[in-house]
Amino acid sequence: MSIRSTRLALLLGGSLLAAAPTVIAHHAIAAKFDETKSVTLNGIVTDVDWKNPHVHILINVKTGNDVVNWAVELESPIALQQSGWASDAVQVGDTLTVQGISARNGSKQAWARSVVMTKTGRQILMVRNTMPPAPLQPRPAPKGADGKPRLGAAPGGVLGYWAYPSATVLKDKDSNVAMDASGLLKNVAEADKVAPMQPWALALYKERQRRFLQDDPTYLNCKPPGGPRQFQQPEGVQFVEDPVRQRIFLLLGGGNSNYRILWMDGRGHKGQVGGDDDNPLYYGRAVAQWEGDTLVVDTRGFNEDFWFTNGGLPHTEQLRLVERFTRSDFDTLRYEVTIEDPGAYTRNWSTGWTMRWVADQELPKHFCQDNRP
Amino acid sequence: MKTAIFRVSLLVLCVAAGGSLLAQEGHPLKGSWIGTWGPSKAHSSDIILTLNWDGKAITGVINPGTDNMEVKNASLNPEGWLVHIEADGKNAANGQAVHYVIDGKIDNLAFRNRTVTGTWKGGSESGAFKIQRQ
Repeated sequence: MSIRSTRLALLLGGSLLAAAPTVIAHHAIAAKFDETKSVTLNGIVTDVDWKNPHVHILINVKTGNDVVNWAVELESPIALQQSGWASDAVQVGDTLTVQGISARNGSKQAWARSVVMTKTGRQILMVRNTMPPAPLQPRPAPKGADGKPRLGAAPGGVLGYWAYPSATVLKDKDSNVAMDASGLLKNVAEADKVAPMQPWALALYKERQRRFLQDDPTYLNCKPPGGPRQFQQPEGVQFVEDPVRQRIFLLLGGGNSNYRILWMDGRGHKGQVGGDDDNPLYYGRAVAQWEGDTLVVDTRGFNEDFWFTNGGLPHTEQLRLVERFTRSDFDTLRYEVTIEDPGAYTRNWSTGWTMRWVADQELPKHFCQDNRP
Repeated sequence: MKTAIFRVSLLVLCVAAGGSLLAQEGHPLKGSWIGTWGPSKAHSSDIILTLNWDGKAITGVINPGTDNMEVKNASLNPEGWLVHIEADGKNAANGQAVHYVIDGKIDNLAFRNRTVTGTWKGGSESGAFKIQRQ
C-alpha cells in the first residue's frame, strides 16, 4: 500500500469519524452534502482514488498561510467512464478549480458540480446522463415463439437493458409532493401526502427525511434495493428469459449487482399470507404470468432489512407487490406497481413509470462497496 | 507496517459504521430485546422481550420460556416514540398476582441496537427499565 493510499484511507476514515455516530458511507448526495453550502476550491491534485462507489480527488488548497487537503467527491467510475473519462484524466500535480457543495458536518469534503483544469480552462469529469434518442417511428415490441412480448433481448441476440426511469422516486400516483431525485422531500411537512402511511410509518419516514436519508441501508451497507426501487436505479435492469425452465432472471445493474427470479411455472406462494414465511427475502418470492401482453408479477415474503423505495418509505414483512410490465413498443417498458402492506399503510396504493431500452449494451458493472464514502 | 495502518483504518471505518450495520427497518418495536429492570441497579434482573407488530397491535412475550408474561395493552406513540406495555405476572416471593406497567421511550431510532428506557411499576415496587434491541 502506498503512502498516498494510506493517507487517503486515513483521511476518509477521519471524515467518517467526524460524522459519527451518524456515519455516512456510500450515500445519497443530500445525506452528506448541503445544497445551500456552495464552495469553490482552487488547488493542486495530491491523489486520485478511482473506485466505486464514488471517485475522489484529493487537492491541496491554500488558504492564507495554510494548506488544507480537501476530498472532492464525484460520480461513480461507471458514470464517468460512460461519459468518456478515464482514471488518468486528472494527474497528481494538476491544478484544478472545483465548484460544488460542501459537507454538512463541516469536514473538508465537497461534492463536485464542476471541475475545471485551471491550465486549459477545460471542464472535465462532467457526467452526460443522456437518454438514447428515440426512433422517429415507434418500433413494435419483439415477440417470442409463444407470441408473447420479449422483455429482454430481441430474437437474434440483440443485447440491451432497461434504464432511464421516468421517475426515480416512489409516491402514490395521485401525489404531487415535490422531492428531489433521491426522494428527499422539499418540505417534510408534506410527508403525509406521499403515501397513505400508518402513524408510526409516517413518523419514521419523517425521521429518515430529517436525517437526509443518511441511514439508507442500500447505500450504507450495500443492502439490495428490493421492491420498486430496483427499477429506479441509474444502472438499470436486464431481463434474461429462460423459457425452458419457465423463469425469468431479472439482473440488477445497481445496488450490489444482484438478481431476482420471476417464476413462470405456475407455482404458488409457499406458507401463509406473508409468502415464504421461513425465509423472508430482500427481493421476496415472485410468481409471474402473462395477462395479454402484460407480465403480472406477484411478490411476497420480503424481509424488513432494507428500504423498498428511494426516500425511505417504510414497509413490513406483510408487504406484497403486484407489478405489471408492459413493453408498449420496442424501446419503452411500462412498469406499474400496487403496494399492499397492511402493516405500514392504511390502504393499497399504486404508481408507475416507464423505462427506456438501451440497445447493444450489457448492464453496467457497478459494485457497491461497504464503508467507502 | 503499511498493512497494519491499512487494517487499523479499515477497523476504524467498520467500528464507526457498526451502529447500523444490520438495521431492522420495519416497525421500530418489532424484534427481540434484552435488558434489565429492578428496584435499583444493585437489585436489577435481566429481562427479555419479544415483540411483534401485525399491522394493528403490538403483541409479544416478556421472558419467554421462563416466567412467561404475555404483553398486553402495548402501544407506541410516534410523537416522541413513547412506549407503553402492560403485563400480568406473579410475585416470585409470594406467588401473588402482579400487574406490571412499563413506560419508556425509544432512543437511537435509526439503529438496529436502539434502546427503550423508562420506568416499570408492579404492585408496590417500581424502578428503572432499559432494554436494547438485538
